[in-house]
Amino acid sequence: MLNTEGSTIVALSTPRGYGGIALIRMSGPLSLSILKNIFRSDKKIAPRQATLGRIFDDKGFIDSAVSTYYKAPHSYTGEDVVELSVHGNPFLCDLIIAALKKHGASGAGPGEFTKRAFLNGKMDLSQAEGVADFIYLSSRAALNASADLLRGSFGGAIRTIKSEIIDVLTVLELELDFTEEEIEFSSQLQTAEKVSGIIKRVEKILKTFDFGKIIREGLLCPIVGPPNSGKSSLFNALLKEERVIVSPTPGTTRDYIEETVPLGNYQIRLIDTAGIRKTKGNIEGAGIKKTQSLIKRADILLFVIDPINLPKDLSGLPKIQINKSYFIINKADIASPAQIHAAIHLAGKRPYFICSAVKSEGINKILDFIKEKIEKRSKKAGDHILTRERHKEALYRALQHLKKSHKNLLLGVAPEIISIDFRSALNFLDVLLGKTENDDILNNIFNNFCVGK
Amino acid sequence: MVENIVIGAGHAGVEAALASSRMGINTLLITMDKNAVSRMSCNPAIGGLAKGHLVSEIDALGGEMAKVIDKTGIQFKILNRSKGRAVWSPRAQADKMKYSQEMGRRIIAQENLELLEDTVKNVLFENNSVYGVVTDQSGTIACKTVIITSGTFLNGLIHIGLDNYAGGRLYEDSVTGITESLNIAGIYSGRLKTGTPPRIHRDSIDYSKTIPQYGDDSPVPFSFQTERFSPKNIPCYITHTNPITHDILMSGLNRSPLYSGKIKGVGPRYCPSIEDKIVRFNDRSSHQIFLEPEWEGAHQYYVNGFSTSLPLDIQNKAIHTIPGLEHAEIIRPGYAIEYDFFPSYQLKRTLETKPVDGLFLAGQVNGTSGYEEAAALGLMAGINAALKIRKEPPFHLSRSEAYIGVLIDDLITKSPMEPYRMFTSSAEYRLLLRFDNADQRLSKYGYRLGLLGYKYYELSQQKITASREIIRFLKNTSVGPDDINPILIALGEKPVKSGLNLYKALCRPNISIDHLYKFFPAGITNNLSGANSIAEQTELDVKYHGYIQRQLDQIKNLSLHENTPLGPDINYHNIKSITKEAREKLQKIKPETIGQASRISGVSPSDITTLLILIKKGDVSRETK
Repeated sequence: MLNTEGSTIVALSTPRGYGGIALIRMSGPLSLSILKNIFRSDKKIAPRQATLGRIFDDKGFIDSAVSTYYKAPHSYTGEDVVELSVHGNPFLCDLIIAALKKHGASGAGPGEFTKRAFLNGKMDLSQAEGVADFIYLSSRAALNASADLLRGSFGGAIRTIKSEIIDVLTVLELELDFTEEEIEFSSQLQTAEKVSGIIKRVEKILKTFDFGKIIREGLLCPIVGPPNSGKSSLFNALLKEERVIVSPTPGTTRDYIEETVPLGNYQIRLIDTAGIRKTKGNIEGAGIKKTQSLIKRADILLFVIDPINLPKDLSGLPKIQINKSYFIINKADIASPAQIHAAIHLAGKRPYFICSAVKSEGINKILDFIKEKIEKRSKKAGDHILTRERHKEALYRALQHLKKSHKNLLLGVAPEIISIDFRSALNFLDVLLGKTENDDILNNIFNNFCVGK
Repeated sequence: MVENIVIGAGHAGVEAALASSRMGINTLLITMDKNAVSRMSCNPAIGGLAKGHLVSEIDALGGEMAKVIDKTGIQFKILNRSKGRAVWSPRAQADKMKYSQEMGRRIIAQENLELLEDTVKNVLFENNSVYGVVTDQSGTIACKTVIITSGTFLNGLIHIGLDNYAGGRLYEDSVTGITESLNIAGIYSGRLKTGTPPRIHRDSIDYSKTIPQYGDDSPVPFSFQTERFSPKNIPCYITHTNPITHDILMSGLNRSPLYSGKIKGVGPRYCPSIEDKIVRFNDRSSHQIFLEPEWEGAHQYYVNGFSTSLPLDIQNKAIHTIPGLEHAEIIRPGYAIEYDFFPSYQLKRTLETKPVDGLFLAGQVNGTSGYEEAAALGLMAGINAALKIRKEPPFHLSRSEAYIGVLIDDLITKSPMEPYRMFTSSAEYRLLLRFDNADQRLSKYGYRLGLLGYKYYELSQQKITASREIIRFLKNTSVGPDDINPILIALGEKPVKSGLNLYKALCRPNISIDHLYKFFPAGITNNLSGANSIAEQTELDVKYHGYIQRQLDQIKNLSLHENTPLGPDINYHNIKSITKEAREKLQKIKPETIGQASRISGVSPSDITTLLILIKKGDVSRETK
């Protein structure tokens, strides 16, 4: 808990999202030296002076930025503070913050800048009431994860799951602490059935995480395929169709080019990748590893095929999940019907589109399809959408314990052992909802069962 | 000269007095009735779920309860035997007479301990420090520490129907003066309520309509010091209430002190009166009743499950509708009692009060209930009073070491406003805190404090060694398929092609350690029988190794800030950077450590972080005084 003391913290200080400018703030003794690792400028950084420069991480250039250095104690927090004004793009900000963290900064907790300001005497006690209120609000938010997310039906769903787990625990504990009572204890099989219901619901919510991520970060849509199949043309064609380019990320030293494009209410992250080609049974090509990792994370994969130069089979290509990959049969303007037919044959069960990227024919159909696909998933995900990585992690670990206790119930393992996993599951839900007291369980026992002699 | 005075010779008082006198402190135990030492006010039983754990811990620390019940009990049973070993709990039917007599003998025989029959009227304080008591007969008696263990006697008010009168127990006087003197010293008090069922005459019961219930055929003693154990096995009898009983009880509700609002104190929910059960769970047409002899050959039977404060005519009418009790003669009526208690947030871990130096509280005055809870608290108060007089560091147990640690921590951090009872579910490290390993967990302390003989400490250490040896043997031994497959097949386990390591064999769900005894070398198998056997304990350690390890890891992670002290002078109202709720709770409770603070409801992890930051910066005192 206390390891934040003396540390250097960093956070995005403006709301996450697209905008003209975003502010990244770093506070702590190492602020300046961490900054110097990623910020290059012709001018010397001096206190209270705005300095224009360029930000690099170990992969290369990220963005141009203005940095301002405040030397302790003449800063908001009373510590060395650096503020970076960068372009208002969440992906850029993530990259920059990740780079700062890599050089020793740690993520700031809610209200932590203000708390440090208070602790360092930057605010006196007469101001403290306001400070306390602020910290109160933000630490509550920390405890309840993000309140606005949990207030809605997602929070409701998690709360229901928690109360169901407490109900199951109640029955288990009742059996342990009131064994002499004349109560019909439910069998472990009955309990197991209840638990498998809970597990199913947790899994369902977990599945919405992917969609939550799409909402948060945009739909990840890499364009892959053999060299010269027309990936870059397709990339450009898709961009042109949408016309509005929000934020170019120039890939000077990157292995791929990424563009974010609005599509309906969502964003898609189009990525033009390096070509994939098979030689002597080995997959080769620049940045092929990166492409494979992209393929793994892809929400939708556009697999571009040149029907004139059709590969014999797909065995040399990275494994692609059928349910999210689409065959784009390109160069329809110059390929013969027979060649197109052969390409369709190669697509097998995968959905395919026929287009000409160069002539911008058939491109709208692809975009409409993607849009329809997102909307369908949105509908399926319903209102209980998990968007935070931290929530997902907690829920996932709760799920593991629920599964373990379910297995133990079926095996007839002693109830005090089963109880441990349920309690662990509750602890992980507490990350989202706040502390469970043992009294919650005992109260439940007293309220629902006639116990005691 | 008297150094330590214990007021009240109930279950808390006797343990407190014995512990402090055994630690070399001149101790005076004051009781209103020398014949009422360790008198059981309510049910004639000791132990039970979680409570049995407490008794075994008292034993390992050198307390008396386990030994006395082993010597005088009339029926012994291990509860929860169908469940895992961690929640097994011993319970015994007591012989109230012999238990009290035996404890009385031990009190009288104890060096440094004097038993005085008198009534304390006043506790004396000066400068927030205790210096003596005033009694009816002996006047002022000076001392260094006082332990109040007065049970339900402080301003006790007995209710039967709408009648009520002062009393500490039926037919026994209450005490006025002690609460008032504590209030003046700045200690808050409140009111609690408890109750007890009627007692009926042995010869008025028709046993043919009841089901007898015996103890275990191979009884297990509470104390690890008990040898040659062959107690009596005297039965209790089970019968049931019915809808007619319930109708009669309902007809008396208008004369119930509980439902008419006469009783202001809060009663325990886990020990409801029969009228409470009927009102709250009106879908149940029947409730279980146990008829329990109060001692061997007793004419007086305890009607367990029928606690009531309804008027005597209703008690009579209702009880006569119960099969077997048609002609039951009530010797003592059921009643409710209200009494003073001192909310336990006012206590330190040592059970010394925060406002008054040298004043300790134990038992029901702390807002607890149960003989076992009382005895455990009495023992801890007695030990700490003695240590204080000897100017030695206090003794306390953590939540991960003992149920006693959970009990005291819960009292301080939760300050329950209904009588607190121990439950196994209150112990987060339940797997580690078993009744059968209490000696291995705690006898080192009992020995170090001078309360437990070397012989028994040595015995507990031998068990620890033996367990390690068994594990080493299991890990280092593999047996061939010819030897192990018949066992595996008989138990429905998959046979093996090559050899099987015995440790791995034991991890299989259907294999228990007794299936493997035949492979044990003669040396280790010497003490491998009986429920208490070290081998069976070891089996649990092996089978649940993963869970046990996880609990041990949790303890390790926890202990980082667990004992970081929070001074008593901190003014939490001035720490504006924590939540208002946390400020108020912390200011009221004044936790002694970060660990305690973190367990107070309403104090969030970020509040704790703030406290830790202030401590590290050394600002807790600067900014908050």
